[in-house]
Amino acid sequence: MIEKILATVFFPGAIFILAISLFYEWVDRKLYARFQNRVGPHLAGPFGLFQPIADLIKLLSKEDIVPMATDRFLFTLTPILAPALILFACMFLPVAGPSGIISFEGDLIAVIALLSIYTIIVYLAGEGSNNRFASVGAVRAAVQLLGYEIPLTLSLLSVALAAGSLSIRGIVEAQAERGLWFIAGIQAIGFVIFIIASQAEMERIPFDIPEAEQEIVAGWEVEYSGRRLALFRLSKDLELFLLSGLGAAVFLGGPMGPVMPGLEPMLYTIYFILKSIIVLAIFTLVRTLFARLRIDQMVSFSWRYLMPPAMILIILTEVIM
Amino acid sequence: MSFEVPIGPQHPIHVEPLMLSLEVEGELIVDADVDVSYIHRGIEKALELRPYIQGLYLVERICGICNAAHSLCYCLNVEQLLGKEAPPRARYLRIVVEELSRIHSHLLWLGHYFHTLGFETLFMYFWRDRERVMDMLELITGNRVTTAYNTIGGVRRDLPPDAEQKLRRTLDYIEERVRYYEKVIDSEPTILARTQGVGILKPGDAVRMGVVGPHLRASGIKHDVRLDDPYSGHDEIPFNVITWDTCDCYARVKVRLRETSECVNMIRYALDHMPSGDYRLKIPPFFKAPPGESLSRVEAPRGELIHYSISDGGDRPYRYRVRTPTLANLLSVIEMLRSRGDYEVYIADVPAILGGIDPCICCSARILITDEAKKRRTITTLDDIIRFSRGRRVERR
Repeated sequence: MIEKILATVFFPGAIFILAISLFYEWVDRKLYARFQNRVGPHLAGPFGLFQPIADLIKLLSKEDIVPMATDRFLFTLTPILAPALILFACMFLPVAGPSGIISFEGDLIAVIALLSIYTIIVYLAGEGSNNRFASVGAVRAAVQLLGYEIPLTLSLLSVALAAGSLSIRGIVEAQAERGLWFIAGIQAIGFVIFIIASQAEMERIPFDIPEAEQEIVAGWEVEYSGRRLALFRLSKDLELFLLSGLGAAVFLGGPMGPVMPGLEPMLYTIYFILKSIIVLAIFTLVRTLFARLRIDQMVSFSWRYLMPPAMILIILTEVIM
Repeated sequence: MSFEVPIGPQHPIHVEPLMLSLEVEGELIVDADVDVSYIHRGIEKALELRPYIQGLYLVERICGICNAAHSLCYCLNVEQLLGKEAPPRARYLRIVVEELSRIHSHLLWLGHYFHTLGFETLFMYFWRDRERVMDMLELITGNRVTTAYNTIGGVRRDLPPDAEQKLRRTLDYIEERVRYYEKVIDSEPTILARTQGVGILKPGDAVRMGVVGPHLRASGIKHDVRLDDPYSGHDEIPFNVITWDTCDCYARVKVRLRETSECVNMIRYALDHMPSGDYRLKIPPFFKAPPGESLSRVEAPRGELIHYSISDGGDRPYRYRVRTPTLANLLSVIEMLRSRGDYEVYIADVPAILGGIDPCICCSARILITDEAKKRRTITTLDDIIRFSRGRRVERR
């Protein structure tokens, strides 16, 4: 019992997830900067490692402003719900072993559902702040969901089909049994679809349409400042960890790898972090390479170029099985 | 149901205050209106209160980026009043600095343009390369941005001894980079998707609205003050006027990129054929100009720049008028932002279209006349400027 509580609160639970997601933000920023020939964060801590947490603390300590025209209930609720939801989804990740803190048959579907609910929270956050830019951004977020959600789900489901299990644990164990990661094989197509769709889920270039700075200022989060903004930014970091972790678990074999007896939990964690940083680096690379698409272009792109391969992939997986 | 989205007066894409009210239906823009009157600085009046030599410093500060064009235009104007002409070497040095600042302005614009399209990487790359040009400007003129190089009767100083070699090396670098960028832009699907077919301005409309500069050339019309009215020995230097006939934002990017490499060639030619001799006329700092009026035109990086002055024989201009290219181009933005028929404009296209004219608001904030009672807005034409100032002069005498 005590062990379970400790695992949930400390390792590999909430505290660990929060710390590592801030670290992932640093990796993302640093890599992005290096790809662009910049230095990136370098002042707070060694190599600027503490920059994300410094930013977070700064935002948390700022004045809390609630504009008069906003829906007070939504304006307070959504910044709390957003990180809580993603943190909950992170509990399913197999960080220190083949299964996460919470694991049951069908938890992959649960994670996908939580990701979709997050977008709905974003929509509510935008509409609740009663601002013209926020409304446009919120609608864009909802429209974007129509584009990427189905390809994302299909790419994950085809892996589940190949593994014969709907749980993340089952998928990880299936890869360990085969001795081959799912990315080595036909599921590589699924991995590409997953990367692109995740980019849209996380609202990053080329799909940062809902918060396009140059068009609608900050989109749905334009009215949020201080600690509310800090919570939204934290939920973005958590999302980054969740999706790169999910990619690593589902396509790159998760935490499994050669282990020495006695050291399993530590080595599992190291493998998991290394693999998910590889996925994270791919996310960052994609963000470096493109300009922002327009919302209509994004949706038509998803339905033209993401949906058909995702469907074909499902059929192929079924045939090969 | 339509509602209004205010882009400005403060907005991330505006570096300077500009109000763009958009009437949108969902993502589609149905109507747009523009208001530039947020930063009137009274520079024209200030010019009338200062001796000519002090006006030179003021006029450079109309616009930070095209300061070389403004000071050149001012110097040409005053020289014309005095009936003097800069020596040949000065004319070539002026071209070198003018074209260098055109490269710097175009690179700045290109970087900022891709930033507005959400392409942060190209933004960083362009601005990094621009630094090299800034270094060259510093080497030649002593200043990175406000060059203070042109002066009445020539230029302020000669080329430093090692400048030519360094300049040539930078030009090689810039030329190579521009070639690379052109390849990137032509092969990058997201850039093409965001610029091709966006913000179409037909050549007929462009001429009707008095559009100038690269914006006009991107509509396929061959118009360049350097070619039509060579003002500083441009008739001796061969160059191509770049035009592009797709009339969209992509054309604007291409025209400016190609112009950058054309500038490189012009500077090379000017360095190869640099005349020897004096680089400035000896003109005393304080002088009286003979009565008369003069008009000078310069092709600034953003388009045709016009300075007009009247002298009543004193040591300061009686009237000074500046007409900047952005103002000429702003009207076309409204036209391009209106959806009609098949031509659809989305909110996401606003930065692409507005950015396409290379807006520089702080030099434009004074010629748009708003008549609140009649709900009418007009732009003062060149003829109006002359008629207006002549009228005032008659009144006074």
